[in-house]
Amino acid sequence: MATPLRSIDWGSIAPLRLRARALADGVYAGAHRSLRRGPGVEFGGHREYVPGDDLRWLDHRALLRHDKLLVREFETETDRGLRIIIDASASMAFRGSKAPASKFAFAALLAGALARIALASGDPVGLEWLGGAAVRPLPAMSGREAFERVVGALESAATSGDLRLDAAALDQAFGAIARRAKRGTIIVLLSDLIDLPDEALDRFAALGLGGRVLLAVQVLDQDELTFPFHGTVRLRALEGASVVETDAEATREQYLAKLDGIADEWSAKLTYLGGQFVRASTSDDPAEIVRRSVSAVAGRFTHGIDG
Amino acid sequence: MTFVYAAALAVAILAVAPFVAHLLQRRRADERDFPPARLVPPSQPVARRRRRIDDRALYAVRTVAVLALALLGATPFARCSSLALGREGGASIALAIVLDDSLSMLAEVEQKTRWDRALRAADELVEGAREGDAVGVVLAGAPPRIALAATTDLAAARSVVRSLSASHRATDLEGALELAQSLVHGLPQTDRRMVLLSDLADGHPDGPPLGESSETPLWVPLTDLAQPAANCAVLRADRQRDRATIRVACFPAAESRRRSIEIYAGDKVVGRTPLPDEAGGVDVGVDLAGASGDLEARITGKDAIRADDVAPVLATTGGLSIAIIADPAGAKLVTGGAPPVEQALAALELDVRLRPLPLLPDRLEDLAGFAGMVIEDPPGFTPEARRSLAAWTDRGGVVLLALGPHAPLAPLGANFEPLVPGSITWGPSPSPGLDDKASVLFGSAAAGLVDFRPRGRATVDLNALGGAVQVSARWKDGAPWLIERPLGRGFVFILTVPTSPDESDLALRPAFLLLLDRLVDATRTRNGAYRITVGEAWSFEGAKSLEVVGPEKAQLRVTEEGTRKVVVPDRIGAYDITLDRDKLTRIVAASEKEVDGRPRKVSPGSQSSSLGDTRARVDLSPYLAIGLLALLVSELALRLRARRTPPLDAERASPAS
Repeated sequence: MATPLRSIDWGSIAPLRLRARALADGVYAGAHRSLRRGPGVEFGGHREYVPGDDLRWLDHRALLRHDKLLVREFETETDRGLRIIIDASASMAFRGSKAPASKFAFAALLAGALARIALASGDPVGLEWLGGAAVRPLPAMSGREAFERVVGALESAATSGDLRLDAAALDQAFGAIARRAKRGTIIVLLSDLIDLPDEALDRFAALGLGGRVLLAVQVLDQDELTFPFHGTVRLRALEGASVVETDAEATREQYLAKLDGIADEWSAKLTYLGGQFVRASTSDDPAEIVRRSVSAVAGRFTHGIDG
Repeated sequence: MTFVYAAALAVAILAVAPFVAHLLQRRRADERDFPPARLVPPSQPVARRRRRIDDRALYAVRTVAVLALALLGATPFARCSSLALGREGGASIALAIVLDDSLSMLAEVEQKTRWDRALRAADELVEGAREGDAVGVVLAGAPPRIALAATTDLAAARSVVRSLSASHRATDLEGALELAQSLVHGLPQTDRRMVLLSDLADGHPDGPPLGESSETPLWVPLTDLAQPAANCAVLRADRQRDRATIRVACFPAAESRRRSIEIYAGDKVVGRTPLPDEAGGVDVGVDLAGASGDLEARITGKDAIRADDVAPVLATTGGLSIAIIADPAGAKLVTGGAPPVEQALAALELDVRLRPLPLLPDRLEDLAGFAGMVIEDPPGFTPEARRSLAAWTDRGGVVLLALGPHAPLAPLGANFEPLVPGSITWGPSPSPGLDDKASVLFGSAAAGLVDFRPRGRATVDLNALGGAVQVSARWKDGAPWLIERPLGRGFVFILTVPTSPDESDLALRPAFLLLLDRLVDATRTRNGAYRITVGEAWSFEGAKSLEVVGPEKAQLRVTEEGTRKVVVPDRIGAYDITLDRDKLTRIVAASEKEVDGRPRKVSPGSQSSSLGDTRARVDLSPYLAIGLLALLVSELALRLRARRTPPLDAERASPAS
């Protein structure tokens, strides 16, 4: 059965352009120091000096300690791009009874804010899609126009599709990043993680190889997090044709356990690979979520530098 | 029915309201979007089962409560209907209930037999009787019987009515009404009634209307029973070698169409013939093609009465058979043919099989097939014949011994024992004619023997015959003309003149036919008739023991009347009789007139509403009110129980679960 195309319920998040900019500016003020405190580039190791090397990178301390001419190597900071993968499948159109906006709108707000932060640092930003309709993937780009293009792509998209039935969606989004993203690229997945194919976690984790940094942000509605129903309810999934009639009180605990199971599985796998996992509710303060996301990524870098 | 009653009953429609509410409560839950629906385990059966159990009990209680409420509002109209007598001034009533227990009452009406309807009506009448009323019960199955003499003991009347059962008898409504009238006649109650509970099918549809000339008012309440019932019946089924003759009656004639008579040997059909398209009794021949074993005749198809669709097929040699032993030369007629005694017996049509024999058989086995015997002017009996004759009469054989001129000519070794001990002489009658005063046995026919002048007469030594001898007719000089003597279980008629026309003109006189009728009657009494119509009696004179088992394997009650034992079967079919260790099979057949289902007319006054009616007499409102109260208490109890019952989730969470 074809999944109907749903327009985005932006709720109080509109206009995205202004909200994302304001959100990024607030978060950037807090994250700026953290980013600038480090070298901004990643230490790449030592090698013996050969004639012709720039003497600025000669390690004087190593010469005094080991009596050897060693040159410090660094990776350029322009390689640290941001690739955002945003889930635009049908389930992301859901907006609960008390939510300010749909899950996709919230995810788009996070994506816009993260993109602006990255662009402000001079890092290129790219955009890939999981499912959706009228979506426009964006290659990594930087500059003043990039933010407008990212926001424009987010605003023009519509949710659609069942990812469990669309095997090509993962290839399309993850494949492009795997081919083009360089070492040090930050890859952020914004999704509810509910209706992803079973292999999605492994495929996403595989992107972390080669020095890339992974961050999965699970965006859920408050109703999905609390299961606030009572009595007998009939629940219809937005992806697939499944309809479940259940006694809410009797099955609440089992449902929440399964939902937590998904989060635990993603968190464990990503942590093992050096990635990060953040769970967000559409009722949460988006600034806090962006801040946690930036901190998670920054922590990864700090740890890498120190280590 | 007034508008108020109708409106009250219309409330009953609201009985569906709990059902509608139940459906609304059980409607499908609203469907809503929820992306992680696949993570939610379904628990639909648990929820519905719990709701179904609770709802069902409440639903039933509420529905019945609404119905009870509607009926309670309409109780002036909705009352229990029963048969009740009309009373003028509240005076006591002498009531004779005539209950028809004939075969036609077994016809089914709306899955109940007419008998059931009539019996229920009788019970209602007795229940409606008051203290001071006298109730009697007469059964109209032929012959009519008094089941209960008029009594004011209503409990006894109730008990008797409830103990009655249907029979296969014919119907005698007139006789039953006469009996009923005699029951209530002379009772102190001034208001006397007869109630006839019958289908009125007595075989006399053109007879005078019932109750027309009755002094006691007759009420016929169950007029709906007087509908002609289509029926076919097997009246008789006789076998003669490889052919069976089945007597069948159908009413109406069209009922016989597409129906057949089939002969069964066990479960196998050994003969079949379609029924002729005729009403009334008709004989149908069926070829049996050498079938053996117990045979049964059945009519195919179904009709109103099933009990008469089956009858056993028995060989006719088992019937009442009388042997005629007469010298063809001495007893012949100038016009030829059989001896006069044989012709007279055949002319009487007494359903007796006659068999002429040249000599008296010497062996008991040869005599065993006969129930009676006429011996004409024998020259004594040989010792072998005497021995077999003694054994035969001891087992119930009946003999008419007509002594004649050969009596004193007995050869050496021959005499008339055991029938007539002592000497017998033969000579001219000194006094012609019989003493009619000493021959009351023949009634008015005795006058025809006053001038009876035979050529001679035999003289018997009465002293040698013993004390049980009875002289039933005498000559004018006082000598015995007819002697009756019991012998064992059998009986002997000793006639002192022969029946031969050469010796006298006795065969031409009416008393002769009466004598033969008496002979056949005694034969039936001593042996039990081979086939009787239901309602008639088997009477066994001198029997020491008697046991009768009916077609339903039930043992019949035997009554003793002096020296005879009497059994009255009231079901058609074959009966096994054990008579002094002798095994007999006897048949009880249905009455032909009982098949005619046309009802007898009744006088117009017999259906007057002043005699009684079927209007309600029992007000249901108190019972309905109590029932309604009980229902409300039940609902409260159910609600209380539902409140105390822990929710399903709590049960699951408890450690015990």
